Amino acid sequence: MIIEISHFLSVLATGLFLLVGYFSILTPSSNSSYISNLIVRTYSHGFFFLLSSFLIYVWLAITDNFSVQYIANHSNTALPIFYKISSIWSAHEGSMFLWIVFLSLWGFLFNIRVKNNEVLKPKTMGVISFILVGFLIFLLATSNPFETILPIPPLNGADINPVLQDPALAIHPPTLYLGYVGFVIPFASAIAFLLYGDSKINWEALVKTWSVSAWVFLTVGITLGSWWAYYELGWGGYWFWDPVENVALMPWLAATAFIHSLGVSIKSSQLRIWTILLSILVFSLSLFGAFIVRSGIIDSVHAFANDPDRGIYLLGFIGLIVFTSVFLFILRLSSIQSLSRIKKFSKQSFISINNILFGALIFSVMLGVTYPLIYEFLFDQKISVGAPFYNAIFIPIVVLAAIFLFFSVDSKWSRSINFKFISAPISFSILLSLAFTIFVMQYFESQSISILASIFAGSLIVFRYIYEIINFIFSKKFINPFSVIAHMSLGLLLISISFNSLLSTERALSINLNTTESYKDLKISFKDIGVENNANYDSIKATFLVEDQTGRTFNLKPEKRKYFTRGQITTETAIHITFLRDIYITIGDQLDDGSWIVNIQINYLIRWIWLSALLMGLAGVILVFSNRVKT
Amino acid sequence: MNLLLKLIVFIVPTIFLLLFFMILTNEDTYPGADYDQFQIPEFELKVLDNTMTVNNDLLNGDYVLNVWASWCITCIIEHPYLTSLSKNGIPVIGLNYKDEQEDAIIWLKKYGNPYQTILHDYKGNLALDLGVTGAPETFLISDGKVVAHYQGEVNDQIWNDVFLPIIKDKKMF
Repeated sequence: MIIEISHFLSVLATGLFLLVGYFSILTPSSNSSYISNLIVRTYSHGFFFLLSSFLIYVWLAITDNFSVQYIANHSNTALPIFYKISSIWSAHEGSMFLWIVFLSLWGFLFNIRVKNNEVLKPKTMGVISFILVGFLIFLLATSNPFETILPIPPLNGADINPVLQDPALAIHPPTLYLGYVGFVIPFASAIAFLLYGDSKINWEALVKTWSVSAWVFLTVGITLGSWWAYYELGWGGYWFWDPVENVALMPWLAATAFIHSLGVSIKSSQLRIWTILLSILVFSLSLFGAFIVRSGIIDSVHAFANDPDRGIYLLGFIGLIVFTSVFLFILRLSSIQSLSRIKKFSKQSFISINNILFGALIFSVMLGVTYPLIYEFLFDQKISVGAPFYNAIFIPIVVLAAIFLFFSVDSKWSRSINFKFISAPISFSILLSLAFTIFVMQYFESQSISILASIFAGSLIVFRYIYEIINFIFSKKFINPFSVIAHMSLGLLLISISFNSLLSTERALSINLNTTESYKDLKISFKDIGVENNANYDSIKATFLVEDQTGRTFNLKPEKRKYFTRGQITTETAIHITFLRDIYITIGDQLDDGSWIVNIQINYLIRWIWLSALLMGLAGVILVFSNRVKT
Repeated sequence: MNLLLKLIVFIVPTIFLLLFFMILTNEDTYPGADYDQFQIPEFELKVLDNTMTVNNDLLNGDYVLNVWASWCITCIIEHPYLTSLSKNGIPVIGLNYKDEQEDAIIWLKKYGNPYQTILHDYKGNLALDLGVTGAPETFLISDGKVVAHYQGEVNDQIWNDVFLPIIKDKKMF
């Protein structure tokens, strides 16, 4: 009964969202205060029905209600409550449900935070509601999480996939989803703006805080995913150009370009075409990510097994959204064009150049993701596009973008920079960066142009902002704190990534019990190996005593686990973390001579990569909470 | 300039959407299905009730090989469909995968047995050689050769879309 109530509330919410969409977009007088009040209230009711439906579903999961097929397939009585809840987003149906609830949550927050007399509000709510209806129908018709096993429910569930029984994974998908769907706000407002066709409305100011918030979630979500893959999947790196990482990277790149472009449009109503196109692009790419993961079109850790109807439905719905947006955009293009030209060497000019560079990056990733699919479709041969392709494209473009960023620091809105005035900070940073790069070249004997160029570009940004900070401390020159933090983190990110690829090494050793092998400056002694029995898995656990060059010693205990319920084998890595590097060990198979294969990696500055990414997110948080921007 | 922009924003998404539509509707890319043909690897397994040992030579002709286990929830859902296949005269052979013998026998008593023979693959060796990743999975086998493989629950739609074209093509059963 309680399952049916939850199911019914979802259906009811769909109906209410449909009403909101109808009132706001298809009735002519949606701006009368009567209609707009109706919209606000109906939406809130729809949201509360959907939220209640979801909370009941969470309750069903906590109480092990295995009459629900999805819960029976993905949860288990032995799981701690925390994982019973996170099992909801461990597969397709439940995660789609969460995705939709988050989408409606953003809409709800927008609904209560934005004043009713805001001219774009009714239509924005309408666009959000129509999108919700589309996805709710998708959920209920093709991937119903409320499907039941009756009359005899199983006594126990099949258990969550063991690699998902991890705290990072319990929070990585929700954070990422909040990021993806958060861009519905700028998208819906842009569509509302285009529907009105009145170029005097400043829709950009309305959505700034919302867009930055969504961007923060996306940034943090991607970082969490990268960290999880490193230690739990045993991938041993921070980025693998896996198709699903790429479909998260594309909206991130588009969103980053979008919030910069948005800043320009708010200040000077220039780049409006860019801003609108980017808002459409960010949301379309978010949807495209959902499509790639849920249509079964690619094989990946993230892909959900499923049926082709879902793919077709999603593709059709995305097509509808994209073409409606494009049609409106083409219709209104002439009225939103800015008449004023962008001045050379003004802040706008640098941002528009970087928009183009980001566009090139997005297009390349799109090509990298789709090309193997197209190739297999046409020639029936599998090819893979990997790191060499992306490195070849990303390094030069990112270095170029970093250089434009460097020159844009302290540039002025709508005025050319005065090169004389800024020559001191520029030469200061160029000299220091050159010195640093030459030092790296000599000390580490590196010949790699791409690494050196990235280090140079990264340190250019860092030194340039250090100069600004010094200026701020001593002569109280104004600086923009989030811009400083975000861009310095970008510089730090570039430097960390470069050092990581310059210095990190890995090797597979075969090692016997009670012997010592040395690798680089490390002495690795194989002390112990044994079988441990646990509640839901058996594990082979090894103990290694590692000594580094300073004589410090520590134990590392990698494991291999075999889970009973699915017979799945997982590798548990052992990692020793220091300020500059990680020592990372995984254990493989036993060879016929009794020795074990052990993989050792020394990963330099890998924590700094995630730290820089999180700092970027922090800059966004500061911006959202700062008083400079009000909704 | 404006015309160019309009063309670009229209044409780029059109190309991508069309492409994905073509890929999705292409029969070969049915998710979970693959049609790699290979000889069944050599094996020797006891049947579930321990009464005899079965190897490659004993299993000939055309049949459906269904990987199942008592711990597998989806297998319960799939079960009625397998029973109907079996009633319609299609030989279904079970591969009991990483399962305790007792549990499996209790399961069959509870739900009924659609299988002609059940191989007990306790360690999952044969399953590993066949490329099984979990349960349920189903193989279509013609004269000792795997001709189709589906990961996940077989139902009417999957049977018609994934297996039936091959069965007609090879004039099986």
